[in-house]
Amino acid sequence: MRDNGKFFAGLGGVALVVTYLIWTGISESMVYYLTPGELMARVEADSTFHEVGVKVSGRVERGSWNREKDELLHRFTVIDLLDESVRFAVEYRDILPDTFNDTENVDVVVEGRYREDGVFEATVVLAKCGSRYEATPEELLG
Amino acid sequence: MIFLGELALWIALPIGIWGAAAGFIGGRMERGDFVRSAEHCVYAVFFLLVLTSAGIITAFVTDSFEYWYVANYSNRELSLFYKISGLWAGQRGSLVFWVLLLSFFSAAAVFTNREKNREFMPYVAGILLTISSFFLVVLLFAEVNPFERLPFAPADGRGLNPQLQNYWMSIHPPTLYLGFTAFTIPFAFAMSALLSGKLDTRWIVITRRWILLSWFFLANGIIFGMRWAYLELGWGGFWFWDPVENASVLPWLTATAFLHSIQIQENRGMLKVWNMGLVTLTFLLTIFATFLTRSGLIESVHTFAENTTIAFIFLAFMGVMTGACILLIAWRYPHLKSENQIQSFLSRESAFLFNNLILLGAAFTILWGTLFPLITEGLTGQAIAVGPPFFNRVNLPIGLALLALMGIGPVIAWRKASRRNLVKNFRMPVIVGAMVVGALFLRGVNHGMALLTFGLSAFVMTIIIVEFVKGTKARARIEGEGHLLAFYHLVSRNRRRWGGYIVHVGVVMIFTAFAGVAFNREIVQTIDPGETVTIESPFGHEYALTYQGLSSPRGENMVRQAVALMTVERDGRPVESLRAEKVLYVKWEESPISNVGVNSYLLEDLYLILDNVNDLGAAFENDAAAQRATFKVQVNVLVGWIWYGGFVLTLGGIIGLWPSRGSTPTVARSTTQTGGERPALAVRS
Repeated sequence: MRDNGKFFAGLGGVALVVTYLIWTGISESMVYYLTPGELMARVEADSTFHEVGVKVSGRVERGSWNREKDELLHRFTVIDLLDESVRFAVEYRDILPDTFNDTENVDVVVEGRYREDGVFEATVVLAKCGSRYEATPEELLG
Repeated sequence: MIFLGELALWIALPIGIWGAAAGFIGGRMERGDFVRSAEHCVYAVFFLLVLTSAGIITAFVTDSFEYWYVANYSNRELSLFYKISGLWAGQRGSLVFWVLLLSFFSAAAVFTNREKNREFMPYVAGILLTISSFFLVVLLFAEVNPFERLPFAPADGRGLNPQLQNYWMSIHPPTLYLGFTAFTIPFAFAMSALLSGKLDTRWIVITRRWILLSWFFLANGIIFGMRWAYLELGWGGFWFWDPVENASVLPWLTATAFLHSIQIQENRGMLKVWNMGLVTLTFLLTIFATFLTRSGLIESVHTFAENTTIAFIFLAFMGVMTGACILLIAWRYPHLKSENQIQSFLSRESAFLFNNLILLGAAFTILWGTLFPLITEGLTGQAIAVGPPFFNRVNLPIGLALLALMGIGPVIAWRKASRRNLVKNFRMPVIVGAMVVGALFLRGVNHGMALLTFGLSAFVMTIIIVEFVKGTKARARIEGEGHLLAFYHLVSRNRRRWGGYIVHVGVVMIFTAFAGVAFNREIVQTIDPGETVTIESPFGHEYALTYQGLSSPRGENMVRQAVALMTVERDGRPVESLRAEKVLYVKWEESPISNVGVNSYLLEDLYLILDNVNDLGAAFENDAAAQRATFKVQVNVLVGWIWYGGFVLTLGGIIGLWPSRGSTPTVARSTTQTGGERPALAVRS
């Protein structure tokens, strides 16, 4: 394709810029995506992991949600989906999504930092009531 | 009726498969009877899917909770509007809805081409029916049959997720689906061109309107989704780089690229392989988006059930389609040679090419970021995610480059721009852009990226306005018409071009709105009735919101609601009051849903969220003592321009789509076979 040499030069140029943007973008904003169990294992193996931004998916423990009166501060406990004994406390200083509650099994993804005092300081909380979107026939009848 | 719908779904599959086969056989063996049979099958499948959809809607309206799907997405008290939109509320129904739309567009394409472009139609019918049949197979055999029955009927359904009980949410998915399915038509014509060897620009000319139609619905679907997010779940945000949002914007990006690159092929006979690639890629991305929404492969607030059967079927289908398309393009590659080459970097071809590359670059970064957790998990066993900072960081420079090209592309000369052309067209816009940046900076705006966005927006707007003024003046002079009439004729004689410019105006407005986010302000306060929250906007307006207290009226399909009323003063003058609510919907008593209050002004929105009532239970009981509540008040800067820009974009799209009087789009030369000859250049004004 000698006739389109410039086109390919342009393609190469744009590809390089995009690659550069992706590369720097990823290295600056990537976070490990872990389960609570994995997070605990990581932190135990390497205490600098407290400094790293992580994303953790788990479940809100029933009855664990408290909010500070007159202040926008939520506290709740996240448990591992597979092993309920693995848990950690979460603090979040913004408005929670409507799908969040602690009366049913709500799956959450929290993003933030697991502090050395054992509290997860969340900057993002996503909540998904998996079971509420669709039900099995048994649930519908029960 | 319901049973009839179920029956129709089963009948549609064999008819679809037969029709697909008949189309391909008829095309290959040049058997007119087979082709006619295939076309009849297209109509038949559409008719059967209308019956199927009517069956599902009947099931919803008659509260037939013995059907699993109805029981999951409706309840007796749900309003009729949401019962009807139940057709696309969940995975199962929305798959039916998808095929319904596809079969409707297929029927429309076959009908409008019943007497012309006949050589394309056998394969077009074959391809469209193949895709429909695939979805029918999914519906019938992947455990997602909407007519699946429960062992016995529950007394009431589980109700529709309250977050979906929103006007914008009820029109957002169908609009996107219209865009997704409409794009299948250009794809089918492109593949038909490859199969039949009719590789001139005709497939593009025939499907130009379809491409624009699809693009138009995609753009609107995305904007409706933003509106829903803004009002219902975003707390004032409108875009979260959520996997499903990303998936919907991917085909839009590639369709935008395609919409521009076909103009190069039409005018200069270049980019033939590229266009084939783009049409295929866009089609695959529409399927990918449907698949991602409905499979739950990547965690998202939008995805529904996790059904791996459907994931594998979709992946297999996409794999086969990708392979087939690559083989087809490779087979015809010798006939897809470019007829011209780029003569200069400073040319319209080159500007359009860069626009294409950048749009594709944006699509690639978004796809990469979306799939990153899957990729890293597959490669290293450890999922690594990237969040909004990644997408914002990467797409900001890309967006700015696009914005600049949006100004340059339409006015730079074809082939090779002279110095004179450049100076003449760009001197004034550059000056205006620089002046806007300077003026804003002097008034204290010091956010670099935002300044750049505003400057480039002014640059593009100036170019477009100058084009309109020049065109109108020239026409007024030559035709001796008044300026208003000349303007009307200018636009109506070349709708595609001027409609396109108006779309650009809309896009510029939306970009401007994005930059406004940098200036948003917010305040959180816990107050008792009688107390006042004040907030000052970046434009210097002062808002004072006085909390009047909670009331608890009962609304449709609601158990309880707590409505907080705030009287508002803007710069000391009373304006419309704001209501922010917590609502308990029937069947969803555990989690109250928030409804926000918004006052929109030209440049900013005042946005009120009732975050929490200290004793919500008592508030629902109208307890006067339980009124202390926490509010978040935001001033969202320029956000309204997304919706205004959406209107402008819609207007431009309609102008572009409006049928031209008495003439179908002309084809440069219609008889060139397999692209050997060079088609004449289409005449451009």
